[in-house]
Amino acid sequence: MKKVSFRLLLPALAAALLTARAAAPSQEPGKEELKLVLPKPMFIGTPRNISSPNLEKITGKPRGPFYVPAGTKLLSLHKPVTASDMQPVIGEVSYVTDGEKSGEDGYFVEFGPGKQYVQIDLKAAYELHAILIWHYHSQARVYRDVVVQVSEDKDFIAGVTTVFNNDHDNSSGLGAGRDKEYIETAEGRLIDPRGVRARYVRLWSNGNTSNDMNHYVEVEVYGTPAK
Amino acid sequence: MKKGVFAGFFLAALLAAAVLRLTQLGARPMHHDEANQALKLGALLEHGEYRYDKNDHHGPSLYYLSLPFALAASGGALAGLSEAELRSVTAAFGIGTVLLLLLFLPLIGRGPVAASAILLALSPAMVYFSRFYIQETLLVFFLAGFLAFLWRYLHRPGWGWAAASGVFAGLMYATKETAAISFAAAAAALLLTFFIRRGQPDRPESAATGEHPRPDENRGEKSPRDQKKKEALGKSSGLPARLRWDHLLLALAAAAAVSFLLFSSFLKNSNGFKESILSFKVYFIRAGEAGFHVHPWFYYLQTLFLSRVKSGPLWSEALILVLALAGCVSAFRARPSSRPSARFGFFLAAFTILNTAAYSAIPYKTPWNALPFYLGFILLAGFGLDSALRACRVPFLRLLILLGLGIGLLHLGIQSFRACFRYPADPRNPHVYAQTSPDFLKLVKRIEEIASHQPEGRGLLIKVIAGPYEIWPLPWYLRAFSRVGYWTSAAEVGEIGRPPILITSAEEAVRLEDGLNTVYRSEYYELRPGVLLVLHVRDDIWEAAFAPED
Repeated sequence: MKKVSFRLLLPALAAALLTARAAAPSQEPGKEELKLVLPKPMFIGTPRNISSPNLEKITGKPRGPFYVPAGTKLLSLHKPVTASDMQPVIGEVSYVTDGEKSGEDGYFVEFGPGKQYVQIDLKAAYELHAILIWHYHSQARVYRDVVVQVSEDKDFIAGVTTVFNNDHDNSSGLGAGRDKEYIETAEGRLIDPRGVRARYVRLWSNGNTSNDMNHYVEVEVYGTPAK
Repeated sequence: MKKGVFAGFFLAALLAAAVLRLTQLGARPMHHDEANQALKLGALLEHGEYRYDKNDHHGPSLYYLSLPFALAASGGALAGLSEAELRSVTAAFGIGTVLLLLLFLPLIGRGPVAASAILLALSPAMVYFSRFYIQETLLVFFLAGFLAFLWRYLHRPGWGWAAASGVFAGLMYATKETAAISFAAAAAALLLTFFIRRGQPDRPESAATGEHPRPDENRGEKSPRDQKKKEALGKSSGLPARLRWDHLLLALAAAAAVSFLLFSSFLKNSNGFKESILSFKVYFIRAGEAGFHVHPWFYYLQTLFLSRVKSGPLWSEALILVLALAGCVSAFRARPSSRPSARFGFFLAAFTILNTAAYSAIPYKTPWNALPFYLGFILLAGFGLDSALRACRVPFLRLLILLGLGIGLLHLGIQSFRACFRYPADPRNPHVYAQTSPDFLKLVKRIEEIASHQPEGRGLLIKVIAGPYEIWPLPWYLRAFSRVGYWTSAAEVGEIGRPPILITSAEEAVRLEDGLNTVYRSEYYELRPGVLLVLHVRDDIWEAAFAPED
């Protein structure tokens, strides 16, 4: 029994070694691997326990001026909002367009975990020139898979335009995007929809770096009447 | 309390301690401090290297005592060791502390020992930090042993108890510098016990404590002859007279030998022990300076008594604090006796008060630093419960106390469960302090996923550019990767080049933004609440891992 096992083992070992060699990066004749000496991590004591909001340095640069066509107005204020989760864990769906942008408790709506969306009905089609989003800005955090779509179809089946997408690996299944992830700050995230015509704005997210929930403090949509 | 009943309660306490301390030890991401300790152990495990650093990292006992566990679990490679296996070391010492309470039997009797064992087994603070790979649980274990052996010696002087107390004192010192606080508190409490309680006529123990003798209480006294011998010792002298100089020298020699061996890396680093003494200067300055961890004097007591973080649940170990207060009152009110067993209660109360005061007076505070003085509270609570039950003559009231106790114990158990399994890394848990966020594990998973698509696998070059407070526990999680470099700033790297994977702090990401944007995909991950790390993956590497196959 032992002999049989050994006979079986030898070819298996040889095959494993050959596979390992084959898998390694090819080495040209006359060259050798450059052995890098990399710095080791520095040992250090217990870090600060951040329990209060906004203690960290603001890491982003202040946003410069953003230019829109003359006559552009805020369209979303007090407009009806629907969501994939109509029973928020905290707050009300209407907070999304109530005009309150404070980062404190009581000003944000929290939706369930995973992929969720909110949808704003502008009540008419407009040319959209700016969308400004505040998910949650009491703490440095990043929302995952932020995708902003606009359409004239309330079900987002036809005529859907994606104006922002930072879902790099298509984990939300809306297509992979190349926009950058960003840290939430009090100045919100400004998206340029480049004058696309739409009545509905749908904003997706898929949890955040602090937890799996989805939050909105406010969304503002700016535009001009459709021609 | 009858022997059988005591055995039942004690075994239940041990079982509860084991279940709460050993279950799902990997539930929480590694803390910054745990990862630091783990890497130190790694150097010892893989290269036999350990050198005491007076500026950080406390004593060496954790690493050396982890070594047999680590060797058995990993076969000598840190990469083969999991978080759960690592934490099982401190968890074992947490359970061991419950077991050590048996040493107090002749000093406080079965009832208080059983009560203390159950409270220690269920205390959320004790449970939570037993599951934490840092020095505190070992310090508590050695402190319990030191106090028990010291008083067993005073109870019945002999070479064995003297040597054992010395060994445990040495291990305390070789565990953490804060052992000095407990030594000072113990010495002061011992002096107070002697000076305040000296010269009192010896009395039967039951009379001394206002208790009625019970036929089932023998408190470790084996025979009338032993009793007479002990009383003779007690009558003839106070505590100092019980100390024999040769015993004291033996204890000191044992303490010095143990700590010298450990600090000197088993004689490989002769300066280690000297450095450990010099470290007091470092820690003295750190304890007083205004840094990250300055908290008000009542921080520990407030956290233990009642705390609530934001909208989280209420947390309280008030049951233990209230019972400890009862224990204190009982110990101070007890009529003095020269018998060491009767004096232990007084000593314990004085020691706990002094130790708590010293820890509270130091501005530098972290939640786990409460553990050494909290052990005193738990022992006193056992004492207090026993006293309350004895003082209460009405059966109905005794029943009410026991009912209240049952509810209180259930509450402690639920809180421990909640702290370890529902909120193990949630800032709404008061024991969670500068804890790594669960989101960080997604970063590790992402890197593993990317590496699995590369021919070099874990030989993939990873450059980390972040301050020292923003890299841990990355070195632990990337321990199996062979080419990882750590720099504290981009300026320090010089030419960054285009490594397949770059991990930066959010601040460094802003500085490097222009250079990285075109060839890297970036993702943010939360290291700790409010602290973000950015993972930059070179486009070709990203495509290899995540591009849809045609």
